[in-house]
Amino acid sequence: MEPAEVEFLAEKELVTIVPNFSLDRIHLIGGDLGPFNPGLPVEVPVWLAISLKQRQKCRLIPPEWMDVEKLEEIRDQERKEDTFTRMPSPYYMELTKLLLNYASDNIPKADEIRTLVKDTWDTRIAKLRLSADSFVRRQEVHAKLDNLTLMEINTTGAFLTQALDHMYKLRTNLQPGEAAHSQDF
Amino acid sequence: MPSAQKPMRYGHTEGHTDVCFNDTGSCIVTCGSDGDVRIWENLDDDDPTSINVGEKAYSCALKNGRLITAVSNNTVQIHTFPEGAPDGILTRFTTNANHIIFNSDGTKIAAGSSDFMVKVVEVADSSKQKTFRGHDAPVLSLSFDPRDVYLASASCDGSVRVWKIADQTCTTSWPLLQKCNDVINAKSICRLGWQPGTGKLLAIPVDKVVKLYRRETWDSQFDLSDTFITQTLNVVAWSPCGQYLAAGSVDGCIVVWDMESQKSIERMKHEKSYTICGLAWHPKYKQIAYTDTEGNLGLLENIGDEKKPNDKVTSRATKDYNDLFDGDDDYLSGDMVEPQSSPKSRANEDDDDDLKPTSGHFRRTVIDDDDNSLDIGMIKANSNLLEKEDDDDDQTGGFSALPPSSTQQPFYDGPVPTPKQKPFQSGSTPAHLMHRFMVWNSVGIIRCYNDEQDNAIDIEFHDTSIHHATHLPNSLNHTMADLSTEAILLACESTEELASKLHCIHFSSWDASKEWTVDMPKDEDIEAICLGQGWAACATSALLVRVFTVGGVQKEIFSLPGPVVSMAGHGEQLMVIYHRGTGFDGDQCLGVQLMELGKKKKQILHGDPLSLTKKSYLIWVGFSAEGTPCYVDSEGIVQMLNRGLGNTWIPVCNTREHCKGKSDHYWVVGIHENPQQLRCIPCKGARFPPTLPRPAVAILSFKLPYCQVTTEKGQMEEQYWRSVVFHNHVDYLTKNGYELDESAKSQAVKEQQELLMKLFALSCKLEREFRCVELADLMTQNVVNLAIKYASRSRRLNLAQRLSEMAVEKASELAAAPEDEEEEEEDFRKQLNAGYSNSAMEWRRQPVRNVQQDQEMEDAEETDAYEEVEETPEVHKERPNPFSKGVTSAEVTTPKSVVIASSSQGRVNPFKVSSNKKDPVVPSANVLDTMSKYSKKNGSSSGRAVNKQSPPVIKPLIPKPKSKQTSAASFFQARTLNSSEKTVEEREEKSGNESHEVKVTAQENTENRRPKTGFQMWLEENRANILKDNPDLNEAEIIKEGMSRFRTLSSEERTAWTEKAKGGTVNDSAEDKKRKRPTADEDEVEKNEEQKSEDSNLSKKPKPLDQSANVRLSAFAFKQS
Repeated sequence: MEPAEVEFLAEKELVTIVPNFSLDRIHLIGGDLGPFNPGLPVEVPVWLAISLKQRQKCRLIPPEWMDVEKLEEIRDQERKEDTFTRMPSPYYMELTKLLLNYASDNIPKADEIRTLVKDTWDTRIAKLRLSADSFVRRQEVHAKLDNLTLMEINTTGAFLTQALDHMYKLRTNLQPGEAAHSQDF
Repeated sequence: MPSAQKPMRYGHTEGHTDVCFNDTGSCIVTCGSDGDVRIWENLDDDDPTSINVGEKAYSCALKNGRLITAVSNNTVQIHTFPEGAPDGILTRFTTNANHIIFNSDGTKIAAGSSDFMVKVVEVADSSKQKTFRGHDAPVLSLSFDPRDVYLASASCDGSVRVWKIADQTCTTSWPLLQKCNDVINAKSICRLGWQPGTGKLLAIPVDKVVKLYRRETWDSQFDLSDTFITQTLNVVAWSPCGQYLAAGSVDGCIVVWDMESQKSIERMKHEKSYTICGLAWHPKYKQIAYTDTEGNLGLLENIGDEKKPNDKVTSRATKDYNDLFDGDDDYLSGDMVEPQSSPKSRANEDDDDDLKPTSGHFRRTVIDDDDNSLDIGMIKANSNLLEKEDDDDDQTGGFSALPPSSTQQPFYDGPVPTPKQKPFQSGSTPAHLMHRFMVWNSVGIIRCYNDEQDNAIDIEFHDTSIHHATHLPNSLNHTMADLSTEAILLACESTEELASKLHCIHFSSWDASKEWTVDMPKDEDIEAICLGQGWAACATSALLVRVFTVGGVQKEIFSLPGPVVSMAGHGEQLMVIYHRGTGFDGDQCLGVQLMELGKKKKQILHGDPLSLTKKSYLIWVGFSAEGTPCYVDSEGIVQMLNRGLGNTWIPVCNTREHCKGKSDHYWVVGIHENPQQLRCIPCKGARFPPTLPRPAVAILSFKLPYCQVTTEKGQMEEQYWRSVVFHNHVDYLTKNGYELDESAKSQAVKEQQELLMKLFALSCKLEREFRCVELADLMTQNVVNLAIKYASRSRRLNLAQRLSEMAVEKASELAAAPEDEEEEEEDFRKQLNAGYSNSAMEWRRQPVRNVQQDQEMEDAEETDAYEEVEETPEVHKERPNPFSKGVTSAEVTTPKSVVIASSSQGRVNPFKVSSNKKDPVVPSANVLDTMSKYSKKNGSSSGRAVNKQSPPVIKPLIPKPKSKQTSAASFFQARTLNSSEKTVEEREEKSGNESHEVKVTAQENTENRRPKTGFQMWLEENRANILKDNPDLNEAEIIKEGMSRFRTLSSEERTAWTEKAKGGTVNDSAEDKKRKRPTADEDEVEKNEEQKSEDSNLSKKPKPLDQSANVRLSAFAFKQS
């Protein structure tokens, strides 16, 4: 899966916005949205929120977890534990990126949040690499990874499986006799 | 006479403080943990000079124009006095000094530090230092011998030592104090003192006594004690003459002894019982300045000013005005406090009112009955210790604003008047804040910034299509604002040069000049403003309300009976809240006027008392979006005007119930009745939100305080009455000629009747038949019929009978006042007129009717008959698909979809899956069109007969226990059927002997399109027979007669008829499909449905006829089950 596709999925997540226009409920295949009352918070998917924000039709209210203190806590927890901790949102990275890119003026301490999320992300990716490394080294056959988000899986998933395939091929080629033998049949 | 204790005032932020007088006694100097030294001209000095000396100041001393301070960077600094210019550093320690003092001539200072050392430094030459080592713990306090020979020091190691300054040796040491490891843990800071002058005695506060040691011999001379002292003494201070000794304790007692008699001459209790940590005598007068650990400064005057020592326990209980408003914050009181230059600590706002700045302008005095007071007649104030412990219950005794005077005041212990609440704008935060909301309402937000760089007003609209956001300079210092969709209204109070101004920015004006201002007459200040539709109003200090047009034309002026509290406007309505009088014991006494400023001006509420929760004040007043007056008090109770009950107020929400914490509040910004929303901003630990970060609006639901809402009954009752209350506005608005979406009303009626029916069913289940009747009394005619049916089906014959009696009564009432109904239905007709033209309905060409015409019509029977026809479409409008008889539970949604279709701007959800076979979104007009065509074809008479398209469809009845859901689902249908039938019946009554053939055709018309039951087929065959037997029967009676005959048939015969009927309906494909729905339960519902409709028809029919029919009906119902 492409990262863009993952991002596309993330855009279905709901965020709260405060619209500055009035619109009745809108009916879409994916479900009803609205009604939009000026000044009243309403939950909409990220894609709509960004679209409205770009047209300056709304003000975005950042998700609860997008807060410096909470993210610091998450980062510290992530650093402390060897396994992956639970993330506040399954699309935390994508949401941070999207919301900070398009609505940074509505998010207090946007830069700090960006750094914190990046730190958390780096820690997790490092963990992921490390576990992949030990997985390969010890020639394990299976491993369990909890609390990984889609984007994280996406970063290594394809590469790791391909690499394992290659390694398997290389390893099997190390015993040419056997292989040759088998081909004789 | 006893000393006069001036009220405490705020001096520093909480923490250790120190106090001293300057040499002449002209000013008091304090230092505190905020690192400032403040120089007070007197206690009422509202603008003390502040010198910042460091982050924290631990101690200060002043002599010969030099101010020395011990600060947190471990130094002892000199500042010039009174200029406050830094003049160098005298000495340093490895940690901070705790106490510093001058010697008597001001040439040396001594400083004791937490690093166990004591230093004596020459002021002129800081290199000449003497260090005294020997204490094993931080040094607490020091005292110079007035003759400069000795130095006494107290330390946390528990010892008090006397040093010889010359050779820095310890002369003597007493283990007097409790040991501790740090100054903050010390029970007492043990400020000791040598007697001024000779230095004969050294006074040391030890626990609850002051020990006095004689010089040279160093033996304990005597102890001074007093029963008044209940806690450890913290500080002692000698009067400059050496005759008096004052001591302050950790619980706020100050006692003064006369050294000659060794008797206490003064006893005083700190008003809040805080620890006294600084005491200083005035160099000339008998005054003591004292400070406490919470940063307050107080002053005792006229100490010992009487011949004989007075044993009276004196205390002047003083109270801050602010305390009246339960000081979680200074929402209200902030405005009342005298301006203070000292930075006000925001830290203590969260918790309690203990630290309220005491301005001394409003004080309450409690007078105690005392033996001497009458004799002397001069007792200004001496109270018992009434207020000693009741800091939290601060609204008890005492009355306000009594100027202290030397005349005798009458003894008074009755109810205490409450200070009047200040005027405010709804949705604003206190005016003294630098960044504040001037208004937050449903239109937008006005913020005011008033800091060093900028004094500006920011206006932002929730809906940017009204107007773009605006930024205005606030040069006039506007403090009040209101915002509507037409204009921005600002107002400022008068200054010395400028009059109070009203400033309006009428942005929706179509001409070029959008602004106007009006100056108030001299000495008249605007106190509250509001905007309505096309008008603006302001209330002034001259008790006037001035109304302007939004373009600036002066209009009405009227007087208010009392000072205004707040105003609100909506549409034509103006609501003014004012003080009706003085409230007592913490209550406010407010009145409300509500008037309409439209074409016909009238007053609706004539200064009625406003009901507020006990000891609360008003915090918000306004209108709901639909125009119903509402207000909120400080206890979070939202009240709304109940126009349905003679303009009374009803509490609709308690916002405090939604709060998590005790000090959390909701700040109301708007109220909507449809949908029911209370829009407010949650404020954690405060009453109002800060401007940054931008607060988010939350929505609370309403809840009427009905009893037992945990039970199903209570819950439904609450829901019912809430629905009633929140739809009062519909009636009001229609009466005032506003256009309204009728669908909303019918929706509401539907909801209410549904709830009533549920309640009815519940009461039935609980065997509460009397209650059932009471409930039925609230129902509309149609729902009563449903109730009758329900009752008869659940075999409550007595109940059914009573209900049918009631139904008859209701029907007669209805007939007595038909014009009311007409009025209600008029709007339906008007809507329908649009897409509905029928040659048979000539009357439609008549001009839009009014009540008068309706009455005329009543007289003319013929017209009335038409009227009935006219009602028919209305009936069908509610059910766009009258032909799909097979109603499932999905039928409930049908009226809703119609609502969407019929409301002009409402959009339709194209993705909505409907359970109806036919397109649910067929606009009602279409249905009507087909109907009108149909009626054309059949001529006018059969056109009328269209009404009859839902005649009783009688099937073998299968008794089934009905669930409430099904009853709810069914009742709309039943209702429409009933009403259509009713009209027919009424018509029958009126038009007398109409031929039965018409009805037969009607019957056939319907039968063409609906399945026939066995009975119907039988009836068709046997109708002639029945008619032959009883030629004077009408249609209903024929059916009844037919039914009784049908019942007499044998069961085989009946089955045969039923079978026949089934065979006959095969051709009706549309119906058949419905019948063949796979799910059995749906089928059952369906059957139920039909049964019910039959039932209702049956129960309905006999009603206008005779009582016996009723009995027969009951018997019928009984038999079937």
